[in-house]
Amino acid sequence: MFFFYLLSGLFLGWSLGANDTGNIFGAAVETRMLRFRKAALIAAIFITLGAVFEGSGPSGTLGRLGSVDALGGAFTVALAAAIAITVIVRIGIPVSTSQTIVGAIIGWNVFSGRLTDYRSIITIASSWVMAFVLSGSIAAGLFFLARPWVNRSKSHLLEQDYFIRYSLVIVGAFGAYSLGANNIANVVGVFVPVSPFTDIHIWGPFVLTGLQQLYLLGALSIVLGIYTYSYKVMRTVGKDLFHLSPITALIALLAEAIVLFLFASRGLYNLLLSLGLPTIPLVPVSSTQVIVGAVVGIGLAKGGKNIRYNILGRISLAWVTAPVLAFLISFTMLFIMQNVFEQKVQEETHYIFDRVTVTKIVEDGFDSAALSTVNGRSFTAERDIYRELNQLHALSRDEISRIIEISEIYPLSVDTVALTNSGMHRRFSAEQLAVLRELEGNVYRHKWQLRVLLTSREEFLYFPEPESEIQKNQNRILEGQLNQLYRSFKIEKEDLE
Amino acid sequence: MPLLLKTTRFVESQIDSFLDIVSDSATTFQLAMEDYLHGRIEEFEARLSQIREFEHRADDLRVSIERFLYERTLIPENRGDVLAILENTDEVIDNIKDSLLQFSIEMPEIPSSLNELWIQTSKASVAAVEQLVFAVRSFFRDLAAVNNYIHKVYFFEREADQIGERLRRKIFGMDIELSRKSQLRFFAIHIEKISDAAQNVCDRLSIYTIKRQL
Repeated sequence: MFFFYLLSGLFLGWSLGANDTGNIFGAAVETRMLRFRKAALIAAIFITLGAVFEGSGPSGTLGRLGSVDALGGAFTVALAAAIAITVIVRIGIPVSTSQTIVGAIIGWNVFSGRLTDYRSIITIASSWVMAFVLSGSIAAGLFFLARPWVNRSKSHLLEQDYFIRYSLVIVGAFGAYSLGANNIANVVGVFVPVSPFTDIHIWGPFVLTGLQQLYLLGALSIVLGIYTYSYKVMRTVGKDLFHLSPITALIALLAEAIVLFLFASRGLYNLLLSLGLPTIPLVPVSSTQVIVGAVVGIGLAKGGKNIRYNILGRISLAWVTAPVLAFLISFTMLFIMQNVFEQKVQEETHYIFDRVTVTKIVEDGFDSAALSTVNGRSFTAERDIYRELNQLHALSRDEISRIIEISEIYPLSVDTVALTNSGMHRRFSAEQLAVLRELEGNVYRHKWQLRVLLTSREEFLYFPEPESEIQKNQNRILEGQLNQLYRSFKIEKEDLE
Repeated sequence: MPLLLKTTRFVESQIDSFLDIVSDSATTFQLAMEDYLHGRIEEFEARLSQIREFEHRADDLRVSIERFLYERTLIPENRGDVLAILENTDEVIDNIKDSLLQFSIEMPEIPSSLNELWIQTSKASVAAVEQLVFAVRSFFRDLAAVNNYIHKVYFFEREADQIGERLRRKIFGMDIELSRKSQLRFFAIHIEKISDAAQNVCDRLSIYTIKRQL
């Protein structure tokens, strides 16, 4: 059943392969510096490598935005995004897969009555603006560096051509790797929480984790998109949108690859962190926006006369319409899936304000008077709690989100055997596993109960008020581990009684 | 890819050989002109057959370069421009050959009082062609220098025009038959045309240079 549902994700992967590969190799193929077959082969290999080995960073960010918790929901969200992309690409405008999937996820949030995490939206949306500006700046910088080299170079025109051709292959491979790493989250990110894959031991220490298998499937669908449809898009991107010479194509491509890499690489993130430098959020950005940013950057560096503002305007318009369209399609299809096809698009979630949860909420520093409208009641949708708590106007949206988290009933039973069987134990240190074994068989009604227990131990180091980026990062890692535990230890509500 | 580098180097050497031939043709033209004016007709004919040989080799090289550029999709962005440059430069050799051939056929009798102006005109035309060869070589190897050479080509082309004009005025001021005047004028113009052809190449070259600059 999972594989049937995954089809929509693979459809999305196909459309990403068809659409976004053009952003990387469009100019190179259109200027005939690279043949399509060679470009497609490089893209196929490196997108797959990037997705499998470095895809986990940006997926986490999407997971925070909305954790689509039922297969039917994930299927519908991915399908809605894929349809929105196909519709807009048909009109002939390159579209952002990242923005579209975010629109579709928010559609699920609204449909299922979950509160959307505004901070995640702001992180994601601001990273899009940042990616656009950054790629423009990098491209302009590279242009100014390359200009004296090209204009004063004493190497033969034919040798320059040879050099550019080689560089396009190498930088294209880097770009494809970064695209795979950065954008695989868009393709199968929504399936991460519901993936049934377990680890496969290949040979010796080499293990293909369940997550990597999911990414690999996604990557294969991207490859299919590259081979079946991307030629047309490459020609369009290379010809109609902006005519680039081979050297400017190389500059734009390099800027694009760098930006995609910056927003995808966990290694770089950790390096910046250890050096005490500001970090870049790991967010799936739009390769379309990034390449358009790069071209605008080069255009401005040349004096700004050659930019076709009307086409740019049309593209920017798609950046707004694509997520909105995906949101509407997602919402409508979820409604149809649930009510016509009677498919489960979300897990039934209950929230309770009993003695235990209210005590915890007050312990966390909230005024019990603010809870007067919900005290002693139980709910099935976050939205209803939000409405009740918001009546008094005493709490901010963030505070209400924290209260909702505490009140959520999420039955857990510590089961390290299941954790080991699924291969997920590798995410934890031996000391952490020892702590978990101590708790073996313990049952909790709320996530925070396990969390409080674990974070009180030094093996699960948590900084309640992080002061540095390193501490913040430690908290993020711990959040990831805890989320893994919640998923692995989840039991049915009936088992609790 | 190593095969591509080998092809690249081979085409480079062919382009260089082609330009060497253009330069040699111009120098040979100058020498042939001097031979003719001093009545060394045998030497003149030998130079003419040398130039015919140059023309053949230049044609073969040009076709070979064209074939390589298209078959191996080398410099896809610039190959149209490069071919136009090579074809137009090839026309300069054709002009040189045609001019000498016409001398060989008609054997015009040139009064010795015209010798100096005649030599000066052909020198200016040949200088234009030599500067053109520098300009074309720079287009491939040193973009920043192209405009200097183009400037020189324009200079020598103007020079050839001016001296040519003086030559023609002198021809028509002489006390000889009108038919002879007309024949001499035809030859004088032929020599000027060589520098005009060089200028035509430069007109394109300056645009292609702008196109190639970042």
